[in-house]
Amino acid sequence: MTPDSITEVTEPMPVSDTEETSNTTKIDAAVDVLNRLSSAVKQQVLGRDDVIELTLIALVADGHVLLEDFPGSGKTTLAKALGEAIVDDGSDKNRADFILPFRRIQFTPDLLPSDVTGVPVFDSNSNAFHFRHGPLFAHVVLADEINRTSPKVQSAMLEAMGEKQVTVDNITYHLDALFFVIATQNPLDLVGTYPLPTPQLDRFLFKITMDHIDRESELDVLDTYKQRRDLKQEKITVTRDEVLFAREQIDAAVTISSSIKSALVDISRNLREDERVLQGNSTRSMVLMLPALQVAAALRGRDYVSAADIELLLPRVLGHRIELAPGVADLNKVLVDAMRGPMEQLARGTLA
Amino acid sequence: MNAAKTQHFLPTSLRAAIIASSYWVLSLSLTVVSGSVASFIGCLFACYLIDLGIHRSPMKRLRTFTINLLSLSFLLLGLLLASIVTSTAFFSDLASPIFSFNAAEFIKWFAISASLTVCLRVLAQRTNYGSVIEILFVAIAFVITLSAHRNGMIHRPFVIGDYALTRGIDPSSILMAFGCGAVLSLAALLMIENNHRRLPYHFTVLGLLCFSLLFYVRLFGLPTPQLTDDLGLTGQEQAGNSSQQENPFRDSDNNADDKEAPVAVVVFRDDYEPLNGSYYFRESAYSQFNGTMLDFTTRSDMDQDLIKNFTSSRIEASQLPKAEDQRTPVRASIGMLISHRTPFGLESPIAYENTANPNNLRFKRTYDSYSQAPEYDFNYLLGRELGRADWSQEVWDEYLELPDDPRYGELAESLIADLKPEFTDDPFAKAWAVKTYLDENGIYSLKNEHAYETDPAGSFLFGDLTGYCMHFSFAATYMFRSLGIPARVGIGYSVPASNKAGGSSLLIQAVHGHAWPEIYFRDIGWVIVDPAPQQTLVDMTTDPQNNLQQLLGDMLRNDASFDDFLESQQTSSINLQLILNVLYALVLATLLSAYTIKFYRIWIPSRAATDKQYRLSYRAMLDQLAAVGLHRQFGESREQFAQRVEEVAPSMQKLTDNHLALALGSQNKNNLDAAKWAELRSTIAQEIGRNTQTWKRILAWINPFSWLLSK
Repeated sequence: MTPDSITEVTEPMPVSDTEETSNTTKIDAAVDVLNRLSSAVKQQVLGRDDVIELTLIALVADGHVLLEDFPGSGKTTLAKALGEAIVDDGSDKNRADFILPFRRIQFTPDLLPSDVTGVPVFDSNSNAFHFRHGPLFAHVVLADEINRTSPKVQSAMLEAMGEKQVTVDNITYHLDALFFVIATQNPLDLVGTYPLPTPQLDRFLFKITMDHIDRESELDVLDTYKQRRDLKQEKITVTRDEVLFAREQIDAAVTISSSIKSALVDISRNLREDERVLQGNSTRSMVLMLPALQVAAALRGRDYVSAADIELLLPRVLGHRIELAPGVADLNKVLVDAMRGPMEQLARGTLA
Repeated sequence: MNAAKTQHFLPTSLRAAIIASSYWVLSLSLTVVSGSVASFIGCLFACYLIDLGIHRSPMKRLRTFTINLLSLSFLLLGLLLASIVTSTAFFSDLASPIFSFNAAEFIKWFAISASLTVCLRVLAQRTNYGSVIEILFVAIAFVITLSAHRNGMIHRPFVIGDYALTRGIDPSSILMAFGCGAVLSLAALLMIENNHRRLPYHFTVLGLLCFSLLFYVRLFGLPTPQLTDDLGLTGQEQAGNSSQQENPFRDSDNNADDKEAPVAVVVFRDDYEPLNGSYYFRESAYSQFNGTMLDFTTRSDMDQDLIKNFTSSRIEASQLPKAEDQRTPVRASIGMLISHRTPFGLESPIAYENTANPNNLRFKRTYDSYSQAPEYDFNYLLGRELGRADWSQEVWDEYLELPDDPRYGELAESLIADLKPEFTDDPFAKAWAVKTYLDENGIYSLKNEHAYETDPAGSFLFGDLTGYCMHFSFAATYMFRSLGIPARVGIGYSVPASNKAGGSSLLIQAVHGHAWPEIYFRDIGWVIVDPAPQQTLVDMTTDPQNNLQQLLGDMLRNDASFDDFLESQQTSSINLQLILNVLYALVLATLLSAYTIKFYRIWIPSRAATDKQYRLSYRAMLDQLAAVGLHRQFGESREQFAQRVEEVAPSMQKLTDNHLALALGSQNKNNLDAAKWAELRSTIAQEIGRNTQTWKRILAWINPFSWLLSK
């Protein structure tokens, strides 16, 4: 880790929604939040800068990520670091105190839906049922080995991830506005698992496959694991409100031109018509992708979405959504083929 | 790799078109239009069927042998169907006989070409020798078509000849273009088969070769085949007076392969119809006995009516024929298609005059001949005296000398013994008796075995009486001389009068080379007494070449009327010159407008408003990069492109960012002003100049279409 990436310490936020600030300042403010978050996570997770960036994009873009990796590669560390970096400074008086910064759910075959959502419990003192909030009521939820649980629990996650609410006994409970799920699954050890159904997969914005980190980073990990476990170390934190604020700022400041949107639609249509593709991506995937594109653009200091953002995010967004025909292995090639025409249109359009 | 190679649509179409056109030319002479069309379609069908289907499921599993067997059975089926259509009354009753015939031809040729093409293509696809067979097939088709042109038949094949001649073009150039096309198509076939990447390069080289060939022919003319006739008439023109010793008798040299080859064309300027049914053109004569046989005379006082040299001016015979009241003057223009030793003219030629050659490529020599053509009849020759008054005794003796063989005299005497009393002393009647004997008993044949006898004529006359004109004329001459009649052997051409076919031009072909005996009457001159054997073992008749005859005649005549006709044809059809001019103007206009656009696009950003700068400046820089060979690939994003050209133009990144920000709707309004844009432009231009080679920059300035690549 380079020392200059942790230089920025919490500053008073330029909370100035009222006055008309320029896009640049808005984006700068949002990117500042993102940078601090990223620094916080990078303190704990080494050699995974690209994954961290994507995770932060998903967080700010109001999506969820699915990490696919073998055990011990730092998934949990990543999720935990992120959850702990987002603190609640208690400035919002309206929020309930049962929302926690970070919760982890270990998915097992005998898990029940009420184990994640919460359950009404009979209170003999008041002679009434009152709802005991489940682990979903948190800012960041790590759903570990999500494919090990039964479809019943997985479908309970559907509502939570899609609508940011859970319904128990016909009563709907709202989750936190920042509700962010990092799910993991092991791609190899598939015995006794329940593969995620397509609609469930569609709720995840990105599926990120984590490769082994490089040699230097791995050495770093071994060298510094003690310091990183040291709880007394000063931590960079970001408040929940700052993240929500960055979300708003980016959404307001970063433009998505119509040619970008039509390129997205054309790529989707190309994919659906491709005979190598059994099932193309959903319209929802495109909708979910728009904020992500904005965040990616903002991270690169732009106030407009460009072709580079599509190229960066599209494989992550579509990777788990597209079902290839039997015998077709190379998703990348299919994607490149489908993208070529629309991207050419997009590029030419700038001169028109 | 293989599948990708064969499924390309364009090469497949090109190959299909080439093979189909060779089917078309092959079928032209064998069938009617419907058959040709069917063979074309059938070939296209088969080509696409094989090329696009051979790697797919049903055909992929079939073995080559099976496919060939299937196609052959398809062929048999087609032939059967065609024969059913024509042989049964049902179809002709249903429609019309013509329709059913056409339908049958269509089915037949479709089946033939489709099945053969399937075999060819499958072999070409599956085996490594197959493409050779295919190329050979195409080559043979072209060769067969164009082979009709050989032996001087310049009007053939008619399809091409007629097209060219009505437009005043020499068919040979079109045929050569055809040949070049064939070469290029074959090369294309070869290269498609090898999936050759340097195809355009090879094409250019081949095209250059073909064009240089055309250029050569334009300058130096076509090489003419060395034709020999049976009589030694053709060959190099005689230099001086030296006569050549050459055996006029040849065994089995008289192959009839090129007998139809045109030798010369004659255009009659005066009306003349010979009474004996043949036009005789005398070139020379054998008159002096050299101890073994008759030969060209070495004496200056013999054969003074013959003209032995070509001259540039008018040349006249020193001895003119007599009996002018029985002769008609005939002027004829003669164009020699093959070099001759001496000029020849319609019997009896008295003068030759060189004329301008209307077509150097075609005619070796052209001249006018003036003749005193005989109009006397049979009766006029009776009761005439022999020999010329001013002949010396030596000349008389020369014209009467014959081999020292008493049999000639004995036979001749026996022949005239039967003459009626009033004719016993008449020279012509005696000669006629000899001719009649030869007519009735002689057998015309080219396969004689007399040439190596000491006296071939004696071997012929007293042997099997089988020989050709040379034997007949020598035998007759010897017998005439034994009877005291001065005689010689005239050589030249004899063309049946019917060949003229009502026109004024007459084509002389190699087959018309002839030798005949002549006798001299005091008041008339040399008179031809030509034996015509009634039995013949060889068919020396040829098809009349009326078209070629008329074509060459027109060419030789070179009349203003013919030119007018050609011009009228030209104006009514497409004017080549005009097309060329238009093309030239179009090319020029394209170049000019391309340069205009190119420099406009570079210049305009310096004049444009700031809000258009992002587009125009960026475009101008794209143009400059494209000119040095850097342009965005299809599907490549602008950022990727900027990254790719970073080594050449690092500032392109900045320009791209600014361009994209405005193009993709950035709300950030404090973008660059016009001056900043101009600065960025000049920076990039300098970077490009620094990082590319000089020749690339020079090319960049010259190339008028570089901007087409920037996108």
